[in-house]
Amino acid sequence: MKGVYTYLSLVSLLLLLACSDRDPQPIEDSTLYLRNKGADMPIWVKGDRQSNKIILYVHGGPGDCAMCYRYYLKGLETEAMVAYWDQRVAGASSGKVEESTLRYAQFSEDMGFVVKLLKKQYPNAEIYLLAHSFGVELSWQYLTSGNNQQEVAGLMVVNGMYSFANWLMSVHDWALREAQRQKNTEAEKYLRDHPVTLENAATIEWEPIYRWMYKLGGNPVSLYDDGKYVINYAFNSPNTALAQFTHSKAYSYYGNVESRQFEKGPLLRDIRIPVALFWGVKDGIVPVAVGEATKQVLTNAPVTEVRFSESWHEPFITETAKFTQAVLDFVR
Amino acid sequence: MKNLIQLLLSLALVPPLLMACMPEAQAQALRVGYYGETITHYGLKVAYELPLHSYIKEKNQARKTFLFAPGLAVYRHPHNHIGLVVSPELTYRRTSRRGRIFELGLAPSYFHYFLEGTTYTPDGPDDFKQVRWAGGNAFMPTAFVGIGKDLSVRKNIPLAWYTRLNVMQQRPYNTSTLMRFSLEAGVTIPLQKQ
Repeated sequence: MKGVYTYLSLVSLLLLLACSDRDPQPIEDSTLYLRNKGADMPIWVKGDRQSNKIILYVHGGPGDCAMCYRYYLKGLETEAMVAYWDQRVAGASSGKVEESTLRYAQFSEDMGFVVKLLKKQYPNAEIYLLAHSFGVELSWQYLTSGNNQQEVAGLMVVNGMYSFANWLMSVHDWALREAQRQKNTEAEKYLRDHPVTLENAATIEWEPIYRWMYKLGGNPVSLYDDGKYVINYAFNSPNTALAQFTHSKAYSYYGNVESRQFEKGPLLRDIRIPVALFWGVKDGIVPVAVGEATKQVLTNAPVTEVRFSESWHEPFITETAKFTQAVLDFVR
Repeated sequence: MKNLIQLLLSLALVPPLLMACMPEAQAQALRVGYYGETITHYGLKVAYELPLHSYIKEKNQARKTFLFAPGLAVYRHPHNHIGLVVSPELTYRRTSRRGRIFELGLAPSYFHYFLEGTTYTPDGPDDFKQVRWAGGNAFMPTAFVGIGKDLSVRKNIPLAWYTRLNVMQQRPYNTSTLMRFSLEAGVTIPLQKQ
């Protein structure tokens, strides 16, 4: 009888081990840091090294984090390596950073070094950019500078913009349409009284329009509603707790000045690498109309589109399996 | 940073001088405990407790002690950094006649961390050089509150257990500061008979 109990215990233990969340094999699991102009930026590389493909996740924000989304992006690691890079000041980045370095040009320089560092570490690997929201702005900044396009094999755009004016007009249109649909007369009146045009986009007060978009359901998804995610973030992520909430004021120049002049439309005609446009269709933060406009200006790039009909701003959260498949199809 | 180290060294010299003037002080003690931000950011802390002043309140027989305790904590935040915290603590501790401990205090701590990962810095437009022992340092003022029990009071065991919450502010951190929390739990062992 004792032998039976021992056997059952061993089997139970094996079953438990088999159920545990394993990293795909053969794995790459490296932590690199890029030190540049006061910032120590972590780059965690995880996944299948033999694939010789690196998906560089360019997180949003500005000031969001990369590794905190691994919970949703881990499926990519079965067929590629994923490089989770925290931009300066964001996520688990540390150092003593001057606020004056939080500019598109500096972010783009950092990104260039990240790409080069990955190429040094993995000389045979192709690098694909997977850019979300602000990460899309950053990627366009990078790809429209010098010969940077030659450094990467492709770009995946996830709900991000190429032009502030185009973006704000799209958000306004989205909010007005929703206000009418939801019969919200207060919102409709405000939005009709404050139209956005190409001429006034850089000067109009955009925050009230943005707030109406949110109130009208522009992105009801909150990461913190998912208890499993929160536990994983708190105990199993290399992120520094509370760090993300310390630096929002540092981006005031970005929010008030630099982003408002952001216009890459004419330069996107020079993009020739493959581009995928992944869009959460319900998103009000960067509406699908921005995706359609992006496709129109990418006149010389092979463009593929995948729409996520049940998603808002982060389709990798709300339609994880479909998103993973779309990314892997693009990099194959 | 040089000024900060000088300040910490100066602060460290004050309590031993005070001690020399206070012969009635309690026994010195060694404090050893777990130190970490969470259970997954684990570490160890050691502190040497030097009582500065101690008295017993007649009304309730509670002992009140003012301590200076230079301490060193080491912890690991996996895939992020290894941290060292040098904390010259000034503590007020109340031990009830049943041995229950309540304490609170302040520490102008010094924080040094080593990045857990290979660090590279650009060396020209296309090359990199490795940075050995990459990390950073910061001033980390700390406030703490703790509870525990002195087992020597009723059970005659020369030991006390304690647990403590530290609230710290790392200055500077990126463009501003960072609030950090850590937990301690361990034992205090007297180094000589009381």
